[in-house]
Amino acid sequence: MSQLNGSRKRKLVTRAIPDAQDDNDELGDALLGGILSQSDDEEELGDSDLEDEDGEEEDEESGDGLDDEDELESDEIPSEYGEEDIREQIRNLKTADVDGPNGANGGLTKVSGAELPETTTEPLEEANTEDDTEDLKPNYRVTTDANGNPRYLYREIEPAYDSDDSDAPATTNTIGDIPLSFYDSYPHIGYDINGKKIMRPAKGEALDALLDSIEIPQGWTGLTDPTTGKPLELSREELEVLKKLTRNEVPEEGYDPYPDMVEHFTSKTEIMPLSAAPEPKRRFVPSKHEAKRVMKIVRAIKEGRIKPYRPPEETEDEDPEVKRYDLWADEAPRPDHVMHVPAPKLPPPAHDESYHPPPEYLPDKAERAAWENTDEEDRDKEYLSRDHDALRKVPGYDKFVKEKFERCLDLYLAPRVRRSKLNIDPESLLPKLPSPDELRPFPTACSVVFRGHEGRVRSLAIDPSGEYLATGGDDGTIRLWQLRTGRRTWSVKLAGDEAVNVVRWRPGTEAFVLAAAAGENIFLVSPPRRKTRCRAKLSRRAGRWMGLRSHQRSLRNERASEEGSRCQMDPPRLPARRKGRPHQNNRALNRQSNQLAPPRRVLLNRIPQGQSSAIAIHTLSKHLTQLPFRRLKGLAQSAQFHPSKPIFFVATQRTIRSYDLARQELLKILQPGAKWISSFDVHPGGDNLIVGSYDRRLLWHDLDLSTRPYKTLRYHKKAIRAVRFHQGGLPLFADASDDGSLQIFHGKVVGDLMENATIVPLKVLRGHQVKKELGVLDVDWHPRQPWCVSAGADGTCRLWQ
Amino acid sequence: MARIKKKGQAGQAKNFITRTQAVRKLQISLPDFRRLCIFKGIYPREPRNKKKAAKGSTPSTTFYYTRDIQYLLHEPLLRKFREHKALGKKISKALGRGEVKDAARLEKTQTPRMTLDHIIKERYPTFVDALRDLDDALSMLFLFANLPSTATVPPKTIALCQRLCLEFEHYLITTHALRKSFLSIKGIYYQATIQGQDILWLVPYKFVQRVTGDVDFRIMGTFVEFYTTLLGFVNFRLYNSIGLIYPPRFDAESDERGGELSAFTLEGRGLEEPQKAIEDVPMTNGTSNDTATSTTAQDLADNLAALPAPEDAEGADDTTTIPNQADDPTTEAIDTFEPTADDADILLNPSSTPPQKPPPSSPTRPSGSPAKHPARPSTWDPVLGDGSFTADESDPSITHQIVDRPPLSQSGVPEAAPQPETTEAEGGDALKSRTLPPGHRVPGRIYVQPQWVWDCVNQGRLLRPDLYAPGATLPPHLSPWVKAGKGVYDPAKPLEEQEEEDEAEAAAEDDEEEEGADDGAVEEEGEESEEEETAPRERVENPLLNRPEEVEAGEGMDVAAAEATDEEDEEEEDKEEEEWGGLDDDEPAADDLDEAEAERLRHQRELEAEAAGVPLAAIANSSTPKSKAAEARQKADRRRKEQDEELERGMMMMSRKKRKLFEKMRYGNEKKEDEAKRLRAKRRKLEKGKSGGVTA
Repeated sequence: MSQLNGSRKRKLVTRAIPDAQDDNDELGDALLGGILSQSDDEEELGDSDLEDEDGEEEDEESGDGLDDEDELESDEIPSEYGEEDIREQIRNLKTADVDGPNGANGGLTKVSGAELPETTTEPLEEANTEDDTEDLKPNYRVTTDANGNPRYLYREIEPAYDSDDSDAPATTNTIGDIPLSFYDSYPHIGYDINGKKIMRPAKGEALDALLDSIEIPQGWTGLTDPTTGKPLELSREELEVLKKLTRNEVPEEGYDPYPDMVEHFTSKTEIMPLSAAPEPKRRFVPSKHEAKRVMKIVRAIKEGRIKPYRPPEETEDEDPEVKRYDLWADEAPRPDHVMHVPAPKLPPPAHDESYHPPPEYLPDKAERAAWENTDEEDRDKEYLSRDHDALRKVPGYDKFVKEKFERCLDLYLAPRVRRSKLNIDPESLLPKLPSPDELRPFPTACSVVFRGHEGRVRSLAIDPSGEYLATGGDDGTIRLWQLRTGRRTWSVKLAGDEAVNVVRWRPGTEAFVLAAAAGENIFLVSPPRRKTRCRAKLSRRAGRWMGLRSHQRSLRNERASEEGSRCQMDPPRLPARRKGRPHQNNRALNRQSNQLAPPRRVLLNRIPQGQSSAIAIHTLSKHLTQLPFRRLKGLAQSAQFHPSKPIFFVATQRTIRSYDLARQELLKILQPGAKWISSFDVHPGGDNLIVGSYDRRLLWHDLDLSTRPYKTLRYHKKAIRAVRFHQGGLPLFADASDDGSLQIFHGKVVGDLMENATIVPLKVLRGHQVKKELGVLDVDWHPRQPWCVSAGADGTCRLWQ
Repeated sequence: MARIKKKGQAGQAKNFITRTQAVRKLQISLPDFRRLCIFKGIYPREPRNKKKAAKGSTPSTTFYYTRDIQYLLHEPLLRKFREHKALGKKISKALGRGEVKDAARLEKTQTPRMTLDHIIKERYPTFVDALRDLDDALSMLFLFANLPSTATVPPKTIALCQRLCLEFEHYLITTHALRKSFLSIKGIYYQATIQGQDILWLVPYKFVQRVTGDVDFRIMGTFVEFYTTLLGFVNFRLYNSIGLIYPPRFDAESDERGGELSAFTLEGRGLEEPQKAIEDVPMTNGTSNDTATSTTAQDLADNLAALPAPEDAEGADDTTTIPNQADDPTTEAIDTFEPTADDADILLNPSSTPPQKPPPSSPTRPSGSPAKHPARPSTWDPVLGDGSFTADESDPSITHQIVDRPPLSQSGVPEAAPQPETTEAEGGDALKSRTLPPGHRVPGRIYVQPQWVWDCVNQGRLLRPDLYAPGATLPPHLSPWVKAGKGVYDPAKPLEEQEEEDEAEAAAEDDEEEEGADDGAVEEEGEESEEEETAPRERVENPLLNRPEEVEAGEGMDVAAAEATDEEDEEEEDKEEEEWGGLDDDEPAADDLDEAEAERLRHQRELEAEAAGVPLAAIANSSTPKSKAAEARQKADRRRKEQDEELERGMMMMSRKKRKLFEKMRYGNEKKEDEAKRLRAKRRKLEKGKSGGVTA
């Protein structure tokens, strides 16, 4: 209460100026009426004023009556005395408030200056409603009219009472919707409607702050009313309303959400019935319809259509588990569905599962350890054989339940696949081959081993007479051996540290000339026969043609080149020799045509660098070198002449092409289907070809048949290095592989075009050792005998007889 | 233009369905799906192309046939499952409300009754089909009949399994359908032939089974549910086919006393009741060869059954008696808890006995005691259960007595008088329960160990009982199902018959070399020599290694010849070579040299002989027998090599596909042969050790 009062006071103070202005106007009006009509009021006012200032003891009546006057006075104070006085007054008020109970009415009536007009009327209302007896102040005067009758003269009703805009703030700041902070530097905070400055209300100073800290006034919110700049405080009623709102209650005072029900229709029976009609007959006569329905049911029950409910009996006498009928009474066989896979039966037990197995079935220590160390999943048997000398000593099998459970899982979880098991003798798969004995002769065993080469033997060749074997190896030497005895007759180191890649004899027996390719050169050598006599012609570097030419000339002049100086140089028997160029490992020396009386020696030379010069044909007799291809597709692997026609074959990585030399055109492209051809050889008949490839295949091509191989054999475990036909009329061919073995085949070609060649493997010759992944590097046949020689990477050559 | 085919609309993508999809399609839970699959015999499939079947995704999943699942959609059981689920919900709801009575009523009245009868008929359209699939069923049911009851295995199930198994055994006894039996470490295998179908099952020994945690009894229970239904129908049909009433009368009291098999009484059908036409003609599913085999098998079986039982042949008294535990009347406590459980199992196990019983129609049956049990004239100690036809152990009609006890030395056994108490106690009874003192032998009676019975049954003839006398070392017990074939080791045959021609020599030589190398060191035991097994082989081949060198220049010849004559040198050489033999690994080349080399050697020897003036034959004769053996071996080696070569040639000409197939087959055969070889080697060693022990 007291705090409310205090707040009221402060508010009043702040509104001093506008109120004063308003009051001046209002006063005029009010006082006029008041003075004229309410003399009593005046007196009272005076009293209350006195009281107010004296003891601040406001009893109800005085407070009520005084209000407007009190306000008026107080409103005027700030304008007249300034802040100090107001403060003083406030202090007085506060202390007074604390002391004595202040009238609620006072609080109520003086909420704000804006309600001023209202508040002035309130006492009247209250007087009318509440204080009938005490404050029945007639608002009329009794006069006598002209006729002498009493005349009631009523007070005029002040329009301000009921006017609608009584709610509107009476005096407001007119600065509009701008923040008050704009006026911070001014003593005023805006202008009222009359353009007068609204002075800044007194702000709390140190004392004020102290006071605030001492006691926070009730209703204090800590907010500032943005419109007035005063601290916003709520009255008790407002707080009450807020409290109710927060509690979800109706904010209105005295609202009863649960009023007593008004019984409009009571349960009490009326004394008088609403209708006086007599009870209808149907209330007494049984229903025919119902009787009909009942009869229907009765009939149904009698007839057994409706069975009265009987609790179900327990018919446990018959065990459902006992089958009492023949399920297959009318069995009809049904063919099994194609996709149905019956569960496989478990295999019957073997001897080792016996409780007393033969002793050889019992595991020894190693087997036991192995069994125990393997994971349970990986064991091939789930049990270890045990021996019990009597049946009574057999313990229970601890994995029995587990095993059966796993069987169950297998039955319903394991996917079933029908797998046809070939139950045939594997031997029946083997093709029927003629016995090798019928196809003799062919080499079967190693008879001579030629040792002497250091490092690999790259190439070998048996001379046309069949007496000598020439070999060339990684150590850069060419060696000549007696074929039958294995005795070395001659050896020469050709070129520094460069390996001899290929050695080939001149065909025909009239000249004894050996061609050897080492490094980038081709050497033509005339080794001594029986004597240690050597003739060597050395080819020169082939880089410069011109230089070569000149060098040829020098050779013809029987001059030794610098390489040749190493061996004794004789005048060459042959009119010409050599063509050189970088070459790797393959070259064929061949007779181009038999018809030509002085056999033209031709060297076919594969050159790795430069596609245009990949193949060179050296005509020895003419000292000519031809480069047959302007461009060769792919990397040349090997080249061969046709045995009888002017055709030559070039193998690139994947294909073999045959070219007609006379007409200079491409004849055929063979596609063996191998990934990388290593070597090939032409059958002496000229119509068949064998191809060896690094991807382990041996392919037989029939040139008349197709460009695809007629037969593919794939049995070697490693790459095939060399293939060779027997050139002396025997139907044999051989291949040499990196797995250290040679295979001898019988390959018979019949002249008849209708018949295909017969290919029969005869023998696998093993003897060479594999060194650094290389096994047998070259193979050659004896010109007449069924013998073959092989060059191995282990530094030996072997003669197989 | 043809319509563009959409992916995943046909073929494998359509034919296969994953398990998740299947479950979703059937709208049941996974356990229900599992049950349904077990009942209906639906199993996952392996699509040819998993990726196609899974429509592109490759995680490993289980696939079912879409058709199978569609077929499941119409299964009446599916409705039962759903009803069951609904009921479960109702009950849980009632329990949640606290209406226990309601729940009980619901459970009692509304539980859907499931029968698997229609499924049995569906899965096995003919009776023979059912018989064919009886293996797993019997194994499973016999296991469950021997399980202790737990929360997961209700006693009702066990009782049912026991009843069905005993009924089935009764049938076997009556028809002598049992063919073979085998005592294994897992249990006892039995094989019966019914209507031409061989049924093989395994019965565990009567011990408490060890159950590990990873066994799901719900799955097994589902199987058992199915199998009990199946065996119930099969039993019905079997009983009816031989004119017996099914179910046989069950004497609970006798069962209480451990009567087991004898708790059942078989009853024949009256004459007035004509035999129902359940023909024994096996009906099969149309595959003609199947019928052929089954009929022949049946014929065979019948012949076997018709053979005069061994006991008949024996003459005097044809009652086969298999009493056990004759020896220990005083220690009955021991009887009950000692390992005699084994014996009890065997002897009570009815199916073991029928084959050696005479057929029930045998005219020479004594009319006295076994009249009540014509099917099983065997007896045992009353301690072991009810049903023995006589309790008198000294009954003179007993011919054979099976004893599985260590023999008691006579001195150790106190001379005990016959047990008066027991005799008198049951004296009033017609069947006197009399037991003999331990170690007492009734004269004229044959005492054997149980294995005798099994071996007789499997071999189909009466074996010498003295080999199986109590306390004797038993001959090994062999599985009757192992068929002798090419490359299969047969322990019954002598070693010599099975060995490859040079195997023994090779082994002998190996041993000798070993001994030579070891300088008569102590003979090693199995595993050590096992390890060394590879070493000798290397040694054999090693001598060929260095030949090429000798050949090379031609001078090596002399050295070689000298070596050949001087054996000691060679042995030394061998040892040396063994050391460096590991260096180069491709000796096969040397094989080829070998022949040429041998030729040369012979030639050289001839020359030498000529020079010395001695006839060549003398030299040849002077060669020791050892070298002769070596020669034989060499010859065999050569032959083998030739064969290998031939094989190699053939394989060269084969296409790759064929070669792979061939190699696969050869691998299988070789594995088998290796196994046989290993066994032979072991046996050889054992025999050698034995003979060595004898000589020493």
